[in-house]
Amino acid sequence: MTSLVRAAWSAFRVSVRLRVISPWAYLNWLVFPLIFATVGLYVLSRPGAPSSHLVYGVLGGGLIGYWSVAYLDGGNGIQEERWNGTLEQIFGVPTPLWTIILGKIIGSLLFGLLAFLPTAAFAYVGFHALLPNVDASRFAISLCVLTFSFFSIAITLTPLFALWRWAFSMLNGFELGVYVLCGFMFPIAILATPLQGVAGLLSPTWATRALYASTVAEGPHDFMLWWLLAIGLSLAYLVGAYFLYSLVEREARVSGELALA
Amino acid sequence: MNTLLWEAAVFARSTYLQYVALFQWATIRGYIAYKVLLPVTQILFFVELGVYATGSQNALYFALGNALQLTANAGIFGVIATVANERQYGTLPLLLGSPANRLVTFLSRAVVNVIDGIATVIVALAIALVLFGLDLGHANLPLLGLCVLVISLTTAGLGLMFGSIGLVMRDAIIIANVVYYALLIVCGINFPVSRLPGVLQVIAYSLPLTRGVEAAREAVAGASLAQVAGLLGGELLVGATWALAGYALFIYLENVSRRGGLQEAY
Repeated sequence: MTSLVRAAWSAFRVSVRLRVISPWAYLNWLVFPLIFATVGLYVLSRPGAPSSHLVYGVLGGGLIGYWSVAYLDGGNGIQEERWNGTLEQIFGVPTPLWTIILGKIIGSLLFGLLAFLPTAAFAYVGFHALLPNVDASRFAISLCVLTFSFFSIAITLTPLFALWRWAFSMLNGFELGVYVLCGFMFPIAILATPLQGVAGLLSPTWATRALYASTVAEGPHDFMLWWLLAIGLSLAYLVGAYFLYSLVEREARVSGELALA
Repeated sequence: MNTLLWEAAVFARSTYLQYVALFQWATIRGYIAYKVLLPVTQILFFVELGVYATGSQNALYFALGNALQLTANAGIFGVIATVANERQYGTLPLLLGSPANRLVTFLSRAVVNVIDGIATVIVALAIALVLFGLDLGHANLPLLGLCVLVISLTTAGLGLMFGSIGLVMRDAIIIANVVYYALLIVCGINFPVSRLPGVLQVIAYSLPLTRGVEAAREAVAGASLAQVAGLLGGELLVGATWALAGYALFIYLENVSRRGGLQEAY
């Protein structure tokens, strides 16, 4: 057990250190969130706009940055080994693959969380925008649930991106669609009914809903239901991930074709 | 005359080769991901955001702005990627070593991306019209088409400027990402330029898109060519300035990369 923790810790350290020197990492947690926060705040902060609108501007950029880092950096955990030519070493070491991926994804999520800092600071300095009625404990729990949700998705996407390279292009092209379906910058209640149905299958949708509800006094506050839905869906993704990792192991060790996928 | 024909042949050949070798979306999956999904979801996101903030009566404002901004997807990403890809594929030294006219080679980088930019806007606008039931009944459609053409040309001019940086920068595509999304803030795509601080307004009007989008909004409201000629003229002037500045930078950086042996430093 100690050796597994040590291996995960090493993967985490390497992951964080690589991100510190990567310009792409700064693009994802700093530049993109600030750009989206700026547009969101300008659009949502019209004179007379309700404070609940502005909340989406304050947190929306951070959520977008957090998600971008989770799916791009976290999801490419195996892909980047392939790009760096270290895929065979990762599979050749006695440490289980999931331990290494776990450390890498936690490193990514830590960086993703940073996205909230510049966007919240910009909202305050540039627009004097604050979160009006924060319920600190529910906000913290919702953020933890959201983190678990992003973690589960990153864990699931990692083998998916490794097995089918086109899956990354598709999700990359659909990135703003995820912002829409998960309600990162506006409530999904304004979407057409079929889109709301699709959104309901995504765990971040429920965690995001809880996060925003914890910052305003009005509106429904079914936190327990939303948290359970987010956690339940995330666990379902992890079950799917288990089978995907088996497939990756087979491609890598049995057929030796993962590097060619 | 012979020289002119020769240069035209070089231009045509360079454009064709740029398309077959460097147009990175020329696969079905790549095209669907970045030329269908990305435009549609960008419009969907910003229109829904705008409708939430300002009401459904403003959906056309957001749809039009974002559809036109998509020309920058081809004009900036596409053009910057052509230089970056030359470097990545190891053909940059061959290009820089060839005796072909630099201006002709340089401008040929933009042609396919201008055409692609126009196609992207048409597809994106058509989808937005259907999805949101937008009404273009009062629009001056030929003038709107002209605006799309002009904006595609001018954003490619900006792309040529930043594409030059790819000669000496490993991750030039990062610049493309920053510039592309920064245009969402400063060019009056989702809110009027007048709401920006003074300095940013100056930057806005020194960039492509800003005047073009204004002209397109007036065309949709039924304006005539005479009413928007000034805006379109300004837009063309800005685009040409960026393209020429890009060419000057290209020549300068070509010398720098040759002197420093940086052509293959990736």
